[in-house]
Amino acid sequence: MGGVIEFFTNTIEGLWNDSGIHALFSGGGWKNLLMILISFVFMYLAIAKGFEPLLLLPISFGMLLTNLPMAELYHANLWQLSADGHIDYGAVLRDGGLLDILYMGVKLQIYPPLIFLGIGCMTDFSPLIANPKSFLLGAAAQGGIFFTFVVAGLLGFTAAEAGSIAIIGGADGPTAIYVSTRLLTGGGAITTGNIALAAYTYMALVPIIQPPIMRLMTTKKQRAVKMEQLRTVSKTEKIIFPIAVTIIVSLLVPSAAPLVGMLMFGNLLKESGVAARLIDTAQNALMNIITIFLGISVGATTKADQIFSLKFGGVMLLGVIAFSLGTACGLLFGKIMYRVTGGKVNPLIGSAGVSAVPMAARISQKVGAETDPTNFLLMHAMGPNVAGVIGSAVAAGVLLSVIG
Amino acid sequence: MYIHPFLLAEVQEQLPATEEVRQKMLQGTEKMSGTEITAMTIVGLAVVFAALLILVIFLYCSGTVFKKTGKQKKSEPAKAAPAKPASQQPKQQPKAAQAPAAAEDDGEIIAAIMAAIAAMGAADGKAYRLRSVRQVTRGGSGRSVWAQAGLHDATKPF
Repeated sequence: MGGVIEFFTNTIEGLWNDSGIHALFSGGGWKNLLMILISFVFMYLAIAKGFEPLLLLPISFGMLLTNLPMAELYHANLWQLSADGHIDYGAVLRDGGLLDILYMGVKLQIYPPLIFLGIGCMTDFSPLIANPKSFLLGAAAQGGIFFTFVVAGLLGFTAAEAGSIAIIGGADGPTAIYVSTRLLTGGGAITTGNIALAAYTYMALVPIIQPPIMRLMTTKKQRAVKMEQLRTVSKTEKIIFPIAVTIIVSLLVPSAAPLVGMLMFGNLLKESGVAARLIDTAQNALMNIITIFLGISVGATTKADQIFSLKFGGVMLLGVIAFSLGTACGLLFGKIMYRVTGGKVNPLIGSAGVSAVPMAARISQKVGAETDPTNFLLMHAMGPNVAGVIGSAVAAGVLLSVIG
Repeated sequence: MYIHPFLLAEVQEQLPATEEVRQKMLQGTEKMSGTEITAMTIVGLAVVFAALLILVIFLYCSGTVFKKTGKQKKSEPAKAAPAKPASQQPKQQPKAAQAPAAAEDDGEIIAAIMAAIAAMGAADGKAYRLRSVRQVTRGGSGRSVWAQAGLHDATKPF
């Protein structure tokens, strides 16, 4: 009888020791618990506040799954470089959990370019083609990336970490993920998940971050400038544009080719008008599937032991600095264009140069309409906005060439 | 590329990595000097600006070509046009005489608008006569009423 009871208690004890509840309340389990609570906060922001829900919700759920002790859905150690300086994908396939397998698409840089394909299908580049000057505003706003790189470097971050943090200033989630997965190897204090969280949180906060900077840096007279109506762009121009941009950018910055190439391929599908079925798949089914895989697997990289560090605090702080600097640089260049053109360019469209399509352009429209309700800046702001997407992809390529 | 220091020490001990690979690994772990940061930033910004400036130049050039071809296409039908309306001239003449201010406007559009007004008036038993068509100076916006209405429709959701 005593043996049965001992066997029974041993079994119960074994089960208890193997349970997630035991792991959660022993050793460093409190960190996991805290991370789970943080994932709830992000879920709340996505569901109740509508903060980029399509990405923040999968990311926060991935965060929850990865921090459930013993669930073994994601293994950070599998993603560290092996002795020959490469990731052992065989080990990932053999020993990895579901989220490890899905994360392969991030690590192998498959998901972000495919998302760009879908974005290309949905983007109308006519405002940019009609007003090529917009490209310069899109380039100027990338100043946020490079100036944040300086700040991060001076604060003691390594080149790879500084580059990954700086790209948050590009205000483009897939680009930030693309760069950080290439630069960060998973062994440090900063992960792709940290970068993605910061990027998407601040992208959702664009309506709060940008307007005060816009009002501060422009005068009422400048905000009231009404811009000339844009010319009509022919179909031939729209078809030539993606082909030309792909060739020019890929020849100049080859490492930007996967992002820019897929963005422009998607746009060519759209503008050609002969591939309706492909567009439908690229911008709907394919993009939605990739968004789910990308979000949940990137969220999984936010393991408790990696996120509780001063460096993560630094990522969040520098992320908002990057966004603000990007906005300020765009506005500054907008003011230069205002002067050069004799007051024909409204500087507010400069802030749309940070990607965040179409939110940043909407903010330009909104702040412009505050000064003069009859002022319609939306189409003018869409030019720098889509230029910002190309600009951040080019900046990403430059960072990868210089650091990677 | 960033390598965890612990792993790097192991790599250095165990792996006879080539000098190039080792240098590349070391590059990511080391903190950057002020000169490196400045150089990377200036080069980075310059390359982004250069790439996008080339695209601006390309777009200006292609835009100029397409504007010219667009104008040529428009002017060709304009030259051919006088031959056709010659037969319709008598019909349109009275309206044109009543609308000197709209000499450049399309007579057909004026006729269509007038027909719409007449149709509405007919329902009430009233008849209208078009005496003149004057150009209204557009308010501060510099856009036509139709363009303003279109813009309002397109931007209202935002």
